[in-house]
Amino acid sequence: MDRWLHPALFYFIGALLLPFFRGKARKAFLLLVPVLSIIDVALMVEGVYGSYHFLNADLVFGRVDKLSLVFAWVFTIMAFLGALYGLHVEEDGHHMAGSFYIGSSLGAIFAGDYLTLFIFWEVMAFSSVFLVWYRREQRSIDAGFRYLLMHVFGGLLFFTGMMLYFFKTGNMVFDQILPANAGLAEYLILAGFALNAAVIPLHAWLPDAYPEATVEGAVLMCAFTTKTAVYVLARGFSGFEVLAILGTAMTVYGVFYAVIENDMRRVLAYHIISQVGYMVAGVGIGTEMAVNGACAHAFAHILYKALLFMGAGAVLYMTGTAKLSKLGGLYKYMPLTMIFYIVGAVSISGFPLFSGFVSKSMIVASAHEEGRLWLMTFMNLAGVGTFLSVGLKVTYFAFFGKESKIQPKEPPGNMLWAMGLTSALCFIIGVYPKALYVLLPFPVEYHPYTLSHVSEYAQILSFTGLVFFLLVGKLAPEDKMNLDMDYAYRKGTRIFMWFDEKVISVVDAFWGELYRRVGLALLFKNARISNGFDRKVIDGVVDGSAVAVRGVGSLVRKLQTGRIQAYIGLSLLMFFLILWLLIKGM
Amino acid sequence: MIVKWIDALRNNLKTLVRVLIVYLVAVVVFDAALPRHGHYLIDKIPVYWTLFGAVGCFILIKVAKGIAHLFLAKDEDFYG
Repeated sequence: MDRWLHPALFYFIGALLLPFFRGKARKAFLLLVPVLSIIDVALMVEGVYGSYHFLNADLVFGRVDKLSLVFAWVFTIMAFLGALYGLHVEEDGHHMAGSFYIGSSLGAIFAGDYLTLFIFWEVMAFSSVFLVWYRREQRSIDAGFRYLLMHVFGGLLFFTGMMLYFFKTGNMVFDQILPANAGLAEYLILAGFALNAAVIPLHAWLPDAYPEATVEGAVLMCAFTTKTAVYVLARGFSGFEVLAILGTAMTVYGVFYAVIENDMRRVLAYHIISQVGYMVAGVGIGTEMAVNGACAHAFAHILYKALLFMGAGAVLYMTGTAKLSKLGGLYKYMPLTMIFYIVGAVSISGFPLFSGFVSKSMIVASAHEEGRLWLMTFMNLAGVGTFLSVGLKVTYFAFFGKESKIQPKEPPGNMLWAMGLTSALCFIIGVYPKALYVLLPFPVEYHPYTLSHVSEYAQILSFTGLVFFLLVGKLAPEDKMNLDMDYAYRKGTRIFMWFDEKVISVVDAFWGELYRRVGLALLFKNARISNGFDRKVIDGVVDGSAVAVRGVGSLVRKLQTGRIQAYIGLSLLMFFLILWLLIKGM
Repeated sequence: MIVKWIDALRNNLKTLVRVLIVYLVAVVVFDAALPRHGHYLIDKIPVYWTLFGAVGCFILIKVAKGIAHLFLAKDEDFYG
């Protein structure tokens, strides 16, 4: 195919057309969009497409190479699985938000310059937040606003860095940055990316918002935001030592919270931080094998983490709660959901024959090969925690353990099919890793299935299991929430509000009173004097210009109607402009 | 079907535990018998990852639960 079609177009146009479909046609249409985009990605040929010269910068909408393609593959596959899982959702708006979110993620990974990347980056944040808000509970609405605020902050870091970078280099090209050349501009961009990758200490938005999202929305969110961030880090910042260290810290930090959390989906959300930590560390180590590992792990992780969120979501959907302290004994009522969840759990824990084993081990092995034994040790400790929290704790307390009074049914068929298909993919990648390895950006000379390697994982996992069953009483879930970095801004804003109420408004009131008593009296006196001057001298001069100003004013007033539909219309116009630019680049 | 299997396992917990113990011993013996090669000390110690898994899991549970009880865990309506 010599013409290039941006896969984001399917999602943008699909979102706009969705309201015209009803019933079975609507379901077919929801599945057709991702299928078309998968075919589009399959037919793609490497190259640079859709470039424009705009505002002294070259915009590139389509940089197609191995690195962007591996992410495009998994994003479009995930979009299909997510659509299947959410097929029963009635609200068009929910699907549209999801489509814009997926489309803009694809836009971000194919962007070849900072400006294009930034636009899609922001659309991602503003569309995904609706997946939280559609839960329609006060907690979700609040969490959504915090999510948005943090992402706007991250976007500002990115934007400031981008502007500084433009002044420094005179271009907007987004490419590998050498650690030695990095200054303030590059580190600001890095911080903006790091926030989306939930790098500590900029991570708290993730476990705050994802567990409050809709059942179907969380499945999408866990796939796209952090992994787009991993892509941009791999593209621009591989070999940055700070990422190797923070990434490894993330792996342990995430499982630490996953061990103590009570809400199933919050356990999984914290665990995303841990998993993305492996990828960030891989990017930071920066060798070909490590970056390959980061990409492979992103690919495998999107599938099994989505699978886990699907399982936890199915439990929430059918029982109304995801709190482990209220669940138990579900294997009797949701055996299929349990099996699919366990497939996700063994995949993420790195059991041989499942996908995590062939991807995670690549990063750990690259740390080992580089002699970074501390990094390797902490990553393997996080591996222990992964199996302990996601594999054993959640499975035991939700599906086995003490029986609760809840007796749910299996979730709807489309949810089961989505989980079944995702499980199959996790298994296929595990037994046939070559299918994944050929997609990676660098040639792969890594063999996961060696005797010593299998033995290493068998020992770690088996003895983690042993200690879990010896200490299971200590892990009983509790009806508690755990403090995290969001404390700073959640309590911090309260201190600010208190300060505003008690100090600023008191001073303001005092100042107002002072002004009323003293200032106004002086002002009136002053006014009487200047009034005379004004009437006699100024009027003559000003009259002419006043007429001119009034003329301009009425023109501006016509533009600025203050009507919401006019603003929406204007936004749509902007949207179509971007769409047109994309289509023109085909 | 699946439910029946699981119930059968639950009713025969003693046998299950015995099988698992045999499995654990097999895992350890298997690693001890493997030829050692590698540059670093951890590659040369037999059954290193057995100890790592067991001790790591123990420490994680103790430290995480300990810190949670110390100051991290709050009531669910902590933020109102």
